[in-house]
Amino acid sequence: MITIPYLTALTTYFSYGLLFAFGQFRDFFRKIFDWWHASNLQGYAPICLGLEDFYFRRLYHRIQDCFGRPISSAPDAWFDVVERYSNDNNKTMKRTDKINRCLNLGSYNYLGFAASDEYCTPRVIDSLNRFSASTCSTRVDGGTTTVHKELEECVANFVGKPAAIVFGMGYVTNSAILPVLMGKGGLIISDSLNHNSIVNGARGSGATIRVFQHNTPSHLEKVLREQIAEGQPRTHRPWKKIIVVVEGIYSMEGELCKLPEIVAICKKYKAYVYLDEAHSIGAVGKTGRGVCELLGVDTADVDIMMGTFTKSFGSCGGYIAGSKELIQYLKYTCPAHLYTTSISPPAARQIISAIKVILGEDGSSRGAQKLARIRENSNFFRSELQKMGFEVLGDNDSPVMPIMLYNPAKIPAFSRECLKQNIAVVTVAFPATPLLLARARICISAAHTKEDLLKALEVISEVGDMVGIKYFPAEPKKLEQGKDTIKLE
Amino acid sequence: MYVRAVPPTDLNRNTEWFTYPGVWTTYILILFFSWLIVLSLFGSSPGTAWTIVHLSHFFVTYHFFHWKKGTPFGDDQGIYNGLTWWEQIDNGKQLTRNRKFLTVVPVVLYLIASHTTDYQNPMLFFNTLAVFVLVVAKFPNMHKVRIFGINADH
Repeated sequence: MITIPYLTALTTYFSYGLLFAFGQFRDFFRKIFDWWHASNLQGYAPICLGLEDFYFRRLYHRIQDCFGRPISSAPDAWFDVVERYSNDNNKTMKRTDKINRCLNLGSYNYLGFAASDEYCTPRVIDSLNRFSASTCSTRVDGGTTTVHKELEECVANFVGKPAAIVFGMGYVTNSAILPVLMGKGGLIISDSLNHNSIVNGARGSGATIRVFQHNTPSHLEKVLREQIAEGQPRTHRPWKKIIVVVEGIYSMEGELCKLPEIVAICKKYKAYVYLDEAHSIGAVGKTGRGVCELLGVDTADVDIMMGTFTKSFGSCGGYIAGSKELIQYLKYTCPAHLYTTSISPPAARQIISAIKVILGEDGSSRGAQKLARIRENSNFFRSELQKMGFEVLGDNDSPVMPIMLYNPAKIPAFSRECLKQNIAVVTVAFPATPLLLARARICISAAHTKEDLLKALEVISEVGDMVGIKYFPAEPKKLEQGKDTIKLE
Repeated sequence: MYVRAVPPTDLNRNTEWFTYPGVWTTYILILFFSWLIVLSLFGSSPGTAWTIVHLSHFFVTYHFFHWKKGTPFGDDQGIYNGLTWWEQIDNGKQLTRNRKFLTVVPVVLYLIASHTTDYQNPMLFFNTLAVFVLVVAKFPNMHKVRIFGINADH
């Protein structure tokens, strides 16, 4: 639930209207100028319609230097950002040789595995020497090595399901599995703020898609009842299968899913539950096993658990965990298993080593320390930001915290001012988020020390005052008040 | 004062911004301030200024709501490329609150413009034509209708 000051909503609409009007004027004059120039298309149709990339050309390009900044080191707590400049008002950016050492508040590095680790990296290099960088083959041809088998068992044990299957890319896991599981005649009910990979997979499956209000189990129940009563569109026959897709932690809100209620409703109406734990696996829960552990849901109740290895394990790839029959079925139908190259062996070894560290099987307590540190860091950072008066979304314990910006002009202002003071943040705007709700998304890592967080808080507070995003009244510092005021009895 | 923003269930990013709080107020305020600007720039009578606002409102809203089709970004792979913005809002459901509001605004503007010009020709003719075209374009029966194939897909 996001609370916007009413005046900010009005000014945000007005700013976007102004930017839109300017963009339309420039397009209009560009059309007139291009009338006089001969086109070099020679009869071919243009690749995209003029209005299809309007947002990209006229709004995104103006602040292009805030997005897509190249880095030249591993995305650890501190990393090197390459400086860029532009000679034609941000239409094209040129790289320089200079680098800035910045505090990394944007990478998904929840447990600090993104940089060289004392247990994981030697084993990864060892497996690189033994298996080489790529299997150069699909899983069914020659791409299944012992590392892959070990990885699938390891993941299944970690997540708490009988079996698992692993793919080379996280986005592909969602968009290739949903068309296999659902077809025409099925119903996919997805949360309104689900990730683009789920939306694309659902659209590609051919099933009917219905959306329920974000994290509202009562609306999910209403939609389920309505759809089961009506049946398939036009024929009104009963649905072949109903699947409800939710995420563990929503990456743009930092909120946890209301999993117990949603699982209870799905059990009542006999719908399958598909849980996408991209951001929550490894980062939340007492032993890092994700939202099911945190919220006390039995993993046998969630039918399909999906996750990615990019966020907490410092690698790449995705997995699906479920019953043995489901994984067996996926192994001979899923195109991501049959036709794409299998996950690279060093990357797989990194995941296995990371899981061993988290579970403490490497003989040290670093895993438990990392989990405790990320929880403390997230809670500390979030409470400090809220005390300063920022509007921060997300639940406690969630390492993702978006700071609301709203006005379109504050997005580049916040991003550039923070970069000047060597803090690298990621800002997100339309169309990844709704039009009104532009935000700066901070991802806390277990590799951040207390000094890093204090420096970040200081810089963000200063920039926040400059840019004007402290929408809530700041809490007064209680210690000073007690010393200065005189009590009148 | 604060308002709560509940994320809607509309997946179409081109139209879901219209369901958030503050849009109607912004629309009305933009019309009012453009009247003030026209009044100060041209120094005309209030009635002529309202007529100018009404007619430019007609051109702008007709072009963006009923002429331009598709969405200004490519993420949705062109599934709305055959629909105008009016046909996209609220997922095509007719007679919702947003649609009723957007139908009432040109009518109210017309009444204000005609009243302040004392219903004189030729302003009355142009104002009536504008409001007639806009209101007919917003009827539920006109959903996806292309008269004489004007603005139809190839």
